[in-house]
Amino acid sequence: MTTYIIRRLLYMIPVIFGVSFIIFVLFNVVAGDPAPLLLGKHATAQQIHDLREQLGLNKPLFAQYMDVVKSAFTFDFGRSWATRQDIIEMIRQGAWPSLTLTIPAFAISTVLSILLSLVVAFYRGKGIDLTIRFLCIAGQSISSVAYILFFQYFFAYKLGWFEISGYEPEFPMFLSYVALPGIIWIVLSLGPDVRFFRTVILDEIYQDYVRTARAKGLGEITVLLKHVLRNAMIPIITYVVIQIPFLILGALLLESFFSIPGLGGITLNALNSSDFPVIKAMAVLSSIAYILFSLLTDVLYTLADPRVKLK
Amino acid sequence: MSTRLISLVFAFMIAAVGCSREQNFDEKVLNLITPQKIKGFDPIYAADLYASNEIGKVYEGLLEFHYLKRPYELTPNLAESMPEVSADGLTYTFKVKKGVMFQDSKAFPNGKGRELKADDFIYSIRRMADPKLQSTGWWLLDGKIAGLNEWRDKNANAEKVNYDEAVEGLKKIDDYTFQFKLTKPFPQFLYALAMPFTFAVAKEVVEHHGQEFQNYPVGTGPFKLEYFDNSNRIVYHRNPTFREKFYPSEGEATDEAAGLLADAGKKLPLVDKVIVNIVVESQPQWLNFQKGSADLLGVPKDNFDQAIVGGKNLHPDMAKKGIRLSMVNALDTTYVAFNHTDPLFKDNIKLRQAMSLAYDHVESNKLFYNNTATIAQSIIPPGISGHKKEYKNPYIGRNLEMAKKLLKEAGYPDGKGLPELNYETVGSTVSRQQGEFFAKNMADIGIKIRISTNTWPELVKKTNTKTAQMFGIAWGADYPDAENFFGLLFGPNESPGSNSSNYKNPTFDKIFAQASIMQDGPERTALYEQLYEMAGNEVPWIYGMHRTSVTVYQGWVKNYKYIEFNHTQVQYLNADLEAKKELLKKF
Amino acid sequence: MSAQDTKSLWADAFSRLVRDRWALISLVIVIIYAGIAVLATVGWGLPDWKTSQASEYLPPSSQFWLGTDLFGRDVFAKVIHGTKIAMSVGLVTSLIAIPIGVFIGAIAGYFGGWIDDIISWFITTFSSIPNIMLLISITLIMGKGLVSVYLALGITGWVGLARLIRGEVMKHKEREYVHAASAIGGGHFRKLFIHILPNVTHLVIINTSLQFQTAIKSEVILSYLGLGVQGEPSWGTMIDDARQELARGVWWQLAGATFAMFLVVLAFNLLGDALRDSLDPKLKGK
Repeated sequence: MTTYIIRRLLYMIPVIFGVSFIIFVLFNVVAGDPAPLLLGKHATAQQIHDLREQLGLNKPLFAQYMDVVKSAFTFDFGRSWATRQDIIEMIRQGAWPSLTLTIPAFAISTVLSILLSLVVAFYRGKGIDLTIRFLCIAGQSISSVAYILFFQYFFAYKLGWFEISGYEPEFPMFLSYVALPGIIWIVLSLGPDVRFFRTVILDEIYQDYVRTARAKGLGEITVLLKHVLRNAMIPIITYVVIQIPFLILGALLLESFFSIPGLGGITLNALNSSDFPVIKAMAVLSSIAYILFSLLTDVLYTLADPRVKLK
Repeated sequence: MSTRLISLVFAFMIAAVGCSREQNFDEKVLNLITPQKIKGFDPIYAADLYASNEIGKVYEGLLEFHYLKRPYELTPNLAESMPEVSADGLTYTFKVKKGVMFQDSKAFPNGKGRELKADDFIYSIRRMADPKLQSTGWWLLDGKIAGLNEWRDKNANAEKVNYDEAVEGLKKIDDYTFQFKLTKPFPQFLYALAMPFTFAVAKEVVEHHGQEFQNYPVGTGPFKLEYFDNSNRIVYHRNPTFREKFYPSEGEATDEAAGLLADAGKKLPLVDKVIVNIVVESQPQWLNFQKGSADLLGVPKDNFDQAIVGGKNLHPDMAKKGIRLSMVNALDTTYVAFNHTDPLFKDNIKLRQAMSLAYDHVESNKLFYNNTATIAQSIIPPGISGHKKEYKNPYIGRNLEMAKKLLKEAGYPDGKGLPELNYETVGSTVSRQQGEFFAKNMADIGIKIRISTNTWPELVKKTNTKTAQMFGIAWGADYPDAENFFGLLFGPNESPGSNSSNYKNPTFDKIFAQASIMQDGPERTALYEQLYEMAGNEVPWIYGMHRTSVTVYQGWVKNYKYIEFNHTQVQYLNADLEAKKELLKKF
Repeated sequence: MSAQDTKSLWADAFSRLVRDRWALISLVIVIIYAGIAVLATVGWGLPDWKTSQASEYLPPSSQFWLGTDLFGRDVFAKVIHGTKIAMSVGLVTSLIAIPIGVFIGAIAGYFGGWIDDIISWFITTFSSIPNIMLLISITLIMGKGLVSVYLALGITGWVGLARLIRGEVMKHKEREYVHAASAIGGGHFRKLFIHILPNVTHLVIINTSLQFQTAIKSEVILSYLGLGVQGEPSWGTMIDDARQELARGVWWQLAGATFAMFLVVLAFNLLGDALRDSLDPKLKGK
């Protein structure tokens, strides 16, 4: 297993090469020129030339690409072109608000949807199954922008149950700010989650070992919890863990409408201002997180099901 | 099983609701909103409006625009008095106020702020020219101060920029006196000294913090930074070592009646604490204001009809809460630019005139500005000398017949033979709607328009490389002088300079070159007015509107008066806590 | 598995699908939407959305069922015409994403070895970049407009399906019927496309219905980012307009577009579920 983990970690190297190549081509080669943007509306041609020189944009493309690769491996992302802030510091500051929004919402929606899917699996085909599934799917069928606009207007402003927007980094203060966007997150994720978990659980329910367990006289609930859920764990873990890296990136729309100063906003700002070093840093970090968490999924596989061997 | 979970969710929600922030009535606090992430506090990068508003709370300059007087008038701020100007208009001698202290900072010995001296200005202005720093305000001084360009060029490739070497045009006379020497007359120079770019920073602080300087502002200004998260919130409190600066006791004739002189002679700043929240989306901005948790809201220029009924009055629901409305002409011009490198427009003035006549200004004013904007006749907004009231542009005011006639004369009867034109704009909702409106108007005379929306960097790239065929954009004054607008049509400023429509007209250029170096006076005004008419008749752009700045503010906010260059405004504002207690009951 | 068996499997699935009342209703809804979209494309018989018929922001009335917008245009007519963009976005992105996903996934799963290594590397690289960056960069390259929206959503939509197909094909290629096909001398492409792929078609169908609704919803996000469709009514731009409108009490544009979208997305979701239930061999007969 150790060799497997090492091999997977080494796999990061070609992936980072690939990610930095794609990002480099998309944003350095074809996107807007950051220099005039940074210099403002009165920039002169000379100034633009000088700044491009300082940013390293006048170098040959290959040399520029090698700079990108180098910074991806050394984690030395430098400073943002647009805000002149230290990028690592920006990410450090933005990660907390994003995580305080996404982690609780994600945890609640995952637990809630596993429970709901056990319920619907238990009552499969009956009215309760249809109603819950219908509600979950209906909830997911409305645009997130519509939810945000309406919930903010109605629950936060009209009814005054929540803060309209803003953020405080301290616990428990942040709860009042992330509650409403968190609820929207949950409403949007219940549909796909319940649908997926239900299928996985139903797949297991029709297996032979379940019949055997029932034949032994175990109650349906015990069978569901002890046997079915345990065996359904592998696909559930994969599904859950692989979403985690994207939690770190925050929730773009929720963050900008609720003024939560997280990484989603940083990414969006960077995209809107051709802030290449920040785009690059976010892409590299997210791909590293992605690989680490898919590795984690594999390791969890073996823990959940000792029959799986990693090689 | 799931009921337990649901009750858990509810517990989470209730906990969340329980700990909202309460209003504080012990000290005077202003709650403000800014719609953009704040980049940082380094004055030399104060090109964007929102950063310069924050910089102006902590830092100060030699001059400022008088808070109450209109038309805008410069008054001394850190300068003892207005400068002595030599007869040739090239030497400006400034005396700096004595006893002005920098705010306390660990960058100073013992953490105590030291006195501001003439050297600090010389240093701060040289930072603008520092080739390694690439200040966004360099255009203000480029080629204008004796020896400064030479110093910049000499240090461009140096390992370390040498600040010890003297620059001829920045001369210290004594600790409190220094001289600017210009290379040529530059009458707009004094405006530059009221802009945040030239505000005084202390060398020790810059060197102490290095690249992090922008996050640790230490100025001489009315407020001291307490907390800064550039994408969430900025908190200031009153600077305890702020000098004796007082609320003005005279202003415009109407100011007395408007209650703007009630605090005359009081020591500034008038509030104890300022909280600036960064709220990007317009819905939460608006809801926060309506809820009373924001004191002041600049309603986005393209988007203010939310607040106003009938173009003039505040919505009655808001008036009931004591909310007040300020509507003042802003010094700006919106326009749709033609790219004059495109042969289609370059020599075909009739096509440009036809399109201008097809545009429905009246309807546009109604749809997008609720009839509050002034239809632009030419490039200069009212309130700046050079704007000629009597001038009526013959190509503005919808006249489809005449437009069709001109289009025919231009060689494209009913639009035949004219390719589809590309209209570039930024991707915001309102810009998109304005593009749709433009396309609709042009369709009426048979011209087909394709709208392309862009992110701001893309649009800048397209205009800089002269590849945008037409684009909808606006220009706001950097300072109240027509030169700042006419420069947009001055040939030598073509892209990537500020003349992004690449308009070239030798007569215009000649008069501009002459007028731009003249001191203010009737002769210059006459030349400016000549340029104004020329810029109107030639239709280099389809002029749009001079917009109105709309601000709504709560009944407890005192001394609010719209000021175009508003980075010094907050120190003059006051909050009436008694009124706030009363008014909040109505929310 | 012979062709005969496959056919009866489909017939069986179809009859089960029709028996499911909700699935049938969903199917009818989707067909109606598609019909409206076709009418809007041809320009027949639908209310006019282009001209300003009244003053701006009139609330819903008997004349304007969903009120008017900023330009005094009929919001109901805009909602109807928006169907065209929504359905075409769903259709075209599926037509782009599904073949790419199937092809790449099938090749990787079938051949394995270094081909699989390269494709897996590409899939991993591609899926580890946040989608938003890819979406925005594609519109940067292609310029704005409908074509970019199609491409952006199509090019980012194939990854999940490719991964799924790869896994399935891997399983199938070890099955007996494939070995049998090799025994009678079937080439690689014959085995892959004639024998294996028909057995994973159900995945493709389920995925298409999901891809469809994801694309419709994503169009709203793109419009919010200013990358949406220009010059034609779309639900995305209508919802984007509502950002400025809701705070002043203009709710009808948001409500109209949201409801129209809700109905069709819901239908696709229910249809997808029903398709899965009736097509998934594992769930067959249960």
